[in-house]
Amino acid sequence: MIKSIFDWLKQPLGLIAVGITVLTLFSIAAYGIYTTQQAPEQPIQFPHQTHVAFGIQCLYCHPGASKGPAAGLPSQAKCWACHNQIAKTETSALLAPLKEAVQSGTPIQWVPVAQVPDFVQFNHRAHIAAGKNCEDCHGDMSKVTIAQNPQVFNMGWCLNCHVESAGEDHEKLVKLSDCGTCHY
Amino acid sequence: MVTLSDLKISEVKLGEEQTGKWGMVIDQDICTGCQACVAACAMENNITFVGEEDSGYGRSMHWIRIERFWEGEYPEVKMTANQPMLCQQCGHATCEPVCPAFATVHSQAEQLNLQVYNRCVGTRYCANNCPYQVRSFNWRDYQRPEPLPNQFNPDVTVRRMGVMEKCTFCIQRIHKAQDKAKSEGREVADGEFTTACAQACPANAITFGRVDDPESMVSQLAKRSHGVKHLEELGTLPNVTYFKGG
Repeated sequence: MIKSIFDWLKQPLGLIAVGITVLTLFSIAAYGIYTTQQAPEQPIQFPHQTHVAFGIQCLYCHPGASKGPAAGLPSQAKCWACHNQIAKTETSALLAPLKEAVQSGTPIQWVPVAQVPDFVQFNHRAHIAAGKNCEDCHGDMSKVTIAQNPQVFNMGWCLNCHVESAGEDHEKLVKLSDCGTCHY
Repeated sequence: MVTLSDLKISEVKLGEEQTGKWGMVIDQDICTGCQACVAACAMENNITFVGEEDSGYGRSMHWIRIERFWEGEYPEVKMTANQPMLCQQCGHATCEPVCPAFATVHSQAEQLNLQVYNRCVGTRYCANNCPYQVRSFNWRDYQRPEPLPNQFNPDVTVRRMGVMEKCTFCIQRIHKAQDKAKSEGREVADGEFTTACAQACPANAITFGRVDDPESMVSQLAKRSHGVKHLEELGTLPNVTYFKGG
C-alpha cells in the first residue's frame, strides 16, 4: 500500500504534485508570518505623520507615558477638541468615523499596536524617567500612518538596553537584570 | 561595562551571612483565623478557584492559608493558635536549586524568591521540595465565569495551566511603591504600603516591611524574644517571624 504511493509519487506527475504541495504549504506559512508583522486594522486610518508634522507632542495624546504604566490611547473627546475647529473634519471621509463616534458617544475601538505579553509588566513612566525617548522603542512616527513596530518586542531586545543603560553601575545592573523587575 | 555573565552565582551569600530585604511578622496570638488574608490574597493576585472536585484532590490554590492544629486527647481537645502559612521567602530556598528551567530564582534586587511564569515548564519539583508546602500548581485552566474576569488585577499575570505559583510578597505593590517614591525623588517609607494579606487583616496580626532597616516596624517587632522562624533548622533562612504564646 505505502510502496504503491511512493511509486506513484516518483513518477513525473507525482513529483509535480509534491512540488505544488510544498510550495502551497510554504506560501501559507510565509503569508501567516507576513500577516503577524502587519499593523492591525484600525477603526480610523490615523495618520501619525500628519499629526507629528503639525508639531503635536506624543505626550499630548498619550499622556499616561510620563505618569504611569500605560501610555493610553486617546478618546474621541481628545480628538474632537482640535478637530471640531478644523473645517476638513466635516468633509473628509477619513474622519467620518470620528464624527460618528462623537455624535453617538460610542468610544473609538483603537487596536493597540505595541504590546507585550501578559507575563511582562511594563511601566512607561520608568522608561521616560530614565531618559528614553518614545522613538527609541516605537520608531519615527513622522514616517508612518498607523503606528508600526520597528522591531519585535522580545526579551533579548529589552535586556540589551537594560544592560547597556546600567553601564558600570553594578547595583543598577542587578535591578535591571532581575527577573522580578518585569515578570511577576 | 559589566555584563550579565559577571553576575556570578558565587557572589550570592549563603548560610548565615545573608540578610533579607523584605520580611513579615505574624502574631498568632491575635490571629482570629477569619481567612480575610486568604480572600484578599486571592483577589490581589488573580488566584483561581479550583472548585470542589479538584480541591478534593488536594489541588486547591492558595498563596496563604490558615493552618489549624489540635492538642490533647478527646474529649480534652484544645485548638492551638491559628497559623497563617505563606511563602517564607527563604534566603536560602530549597525550591530554587531544583528547578531545571531556572523558573524559580532568587531576586538579587529585592531578595525574594521569584516564580517566573513564562519560564516554568511545570515539573512541580519546587513544590515537592518546599518544606512549607506553600506552592500551588495550575492543574487546569480554571474557568472564571462572568463577571469574575472583571476583577483581575492588571498588575499581576494571569497564570495558565501547567505553571507553578506562590506568594510574591505582593511584588507588584513593592514595585508600585518604589516607582511612586522614585518619581517623587525619595525613598520608600516604612508602612507606606503593605501586602494584601496584611492590609486585609482586621486584627493587624500581619506586619510587612524592610527587615534590613533596623528602624522599621517589622525589625522592631522581630526583636521580641518569643519570635520563631519555622523550620529554621533546615537552614532555609526564612524571612517570616511568628509569635505564639507571648
